[in-house]
Amino acid sequence: MDGVKNIVKKELTRVFTDKKLIISLFILPGVLIMVMYSIMGGLISNLQKDIETHIPTVYIQNAPDDLDNIIDSVSYIGDITYISSNDSTDSIKDGILKGEIDLLVIFDEDFTDKIYSYKEVGDPIPEVRTFYNPSEDYSNAAKGNFIASVLNTYQQSLLAERLGNIEQLQVFHIDRNPEAGIIIDESKATGKFLAMLLPFLINIMLFQGAMGLGMDTITGEKERGTLSSMLLSPIKRSQIVFGKLISLGILTSLSAVIYTVSVVIGIQRLSGEAMDMNIKFSPIQIIQLFVLLIILVYLYVSMVSLMAVYARTQKEAGTYITPLYILVMLGSIMTMFSSGGEKELQFYAIPIYNGAIAMQDLLVGELTMAKFGITVGSLALVAFLLTTLITKAFNSERVMFNA
Amino acid sequence: MIQINELTKVYKLTKKQMMEQKTKKNMMKAVDKLSLTSKPGEIYGLLGPNGAGKTTALRCIATLLKPTQGEITVKGYDTVRDSENVRKKIGFLTNEIKLDPQFSPKYMFGFFGRLHGLDEKTIDERREELFSYFGIKDFEDKKIDELSSGMKQKASIAVSLVHNPEVVIFDEPTNGLDIVTARNVTDYLKLLKNEGRTVIISTHIMTEAEKLCDRIGIIINGVLVMEGTLAEILEKTNSKDLEDAFFELYKTHSKEEE
Repeated sequence: MDGVKNIVKKELTRVFTDKKLIISLFILPGVLIMVMYSIMGGLISNLQKDIETHIPTVYIQNAPDDLDNIIDSVSYIGDITYISSNDSTDSIKDGILKGEIDLLVIFDEDFTDKIYSYKEVGDPIPEVRTFYNPSEDYSNAAKGNFIASVLNTYQQSLLAERLGNIEQLQVFHIDRNPEAGIIIDESKATGKFLAMLLPFLINIMLFQGAMGLGMDTITGEKERGTLSSMLLSPIKRSQIVFGKLISLGILTSLSAVIYTVSVVIGIQRLSGEAMDMNIKFSPIQIIQLFVLLIILVYLYVSMVSLMAVYARTQKEAGTYITPLYILVMLGSIMTMFSSGGEKELQFYAIPIYNGAIAMQDLLVGELTMAKFGITVGSLALVAFLLTTLITKAFNSERVMFNA
Repeated sequence: MIQINELTKVYKLTKKQMMEQKTKKNMMKAVDKLSLTSKPGEIYGLLGPNGAGKTTALRCIATLLKPTQGEITVKGYDTVRDSENVRKKIGFLTNEIKLDPQFSPKYMFGFFGRLHGLDEKTIDERREELFSYFGIKDFEDKKIDELSSGMKQKASIAVSLVHNPEVVIFDEPTNGLDIVTARNVTDYLKLLKNEGRTVIISTHIMTEAEKLCDRIGIIINGVLVMEGTLAEILEKTNSKDLEDAFFELYKTHSKEEE
């Protein structure tokens, strides 16, 4: 095992004594991810603020006499222009289309008369029509606000007038205090949110780390002719393979941790506030997560390495590895759009996908030992197979020397 | 002691390689039934033009390639069955095998020393000896990337000798070296020979072969066409120097090939 230790030490030294490599592998991607999410978060909150503070331009045709009082009583803020039924609305509609005007509200001509002359079923009911542009944020918000604050209140006041007692209509209340009715396991709720996002992120980040490093440390060394010097030393080829895989695994884990932390920090900024990370793990869950991560790292590293060892140039390696990257993305993206409900055991035997769903289950506290066992077993089997293939490639003169 | 017995090495060519070499055959015989013995206390020189099969033969000895037919033993160990033991005994130098440019000669020396199972004290002693002999000390801490090609070659030579190998296999060792350093290297090879080690080199430089090698094997198109001391070869070919002898043989044997 001395050979393995020696090679791991050398590989790690190689990365950590190269400032450029440290920056390009660890620091830059981390900073970029954080900055990207922060900027996105900033832009989104600016946009929301902008819509909230915007004063809508509203045109109202045939406004009933008492509408003014309502608008005042709810202190609706808007730049309102009243028009009569003789005025054409075409230019206003055009303005809405162009985004210059936010809302047009048209009351039926004999709106008030119809309301007061209503006696029994079948009598005409007047209509209020609103015209807006759903693709304009201001217009969209103006319509919603106008209906919620002005029209609903107006309707309620007219109803009260007609019936005298509005409670007759209410019959019963549903949840006067909706907050008081929420029964939730905070840890599971946070887990559910994380369960949607984290397996995907971790999978992608792990693979990305393995990809960049694996191409350099295997194909790069092959290209530079430095790998063959190692093949000349009196150690087994399998030791060289293990040395490479373990050092790659360590570096990949490190980069995955950095990337994931950056993403989480970035997302917190995106949501505008610190997320309530109310998630608690039992010791067994922590061990399960640790084992899962280790085996996933090893699997991805060996997947990348197998491609990297067969490639003659780093460019070629990139071409080979990209389909695998897509495969990993696909396997883990499925967890984002599945309910995380009970899955049959055989799903946990599908490599890559099982890693993602097992992690999802773990985060919501539903990973049974059977699921865990099948996942780890199947991943370990694939990893072992890949390692055997890589060792075989290291022993092949055709692969190593193009002979 | 190196014994090569009827070594044949055939490369399978890919379609691309067949196109490049303008051949319709999907096989290329790089070495054809080569037999030779290199003994302790002598320097054996494989002489031949580019592409003659010298490097292939040496790589087979160094266990990097497996013979298609025939067998090779180094100090009694078979290069296929006992490749690990063979690698313990040999120091191999070739152009295509390089030291990691990211590290210093000092680090690389230590790294390969440890891979050969040496302890730190032995590594230090060996480094002191070899680095002062080849004049590497001045740049031992510089990145290999920053070294000149001559410095790199010196570092590679020193690293290949870290474990004080009993068998030394050098593929064109003076390639890219200035005249002073080249002399330095050939002198060291003589030193190794005098210590009773087995030395085999390949070269296409006639004067080097004449001055350095105790026995010379001339290899053309993968076939060992003549072997012997310088005097024997000159006598057999009726030539006055090695260059004439070589061209004499080259004319005959490349015609045969066609």
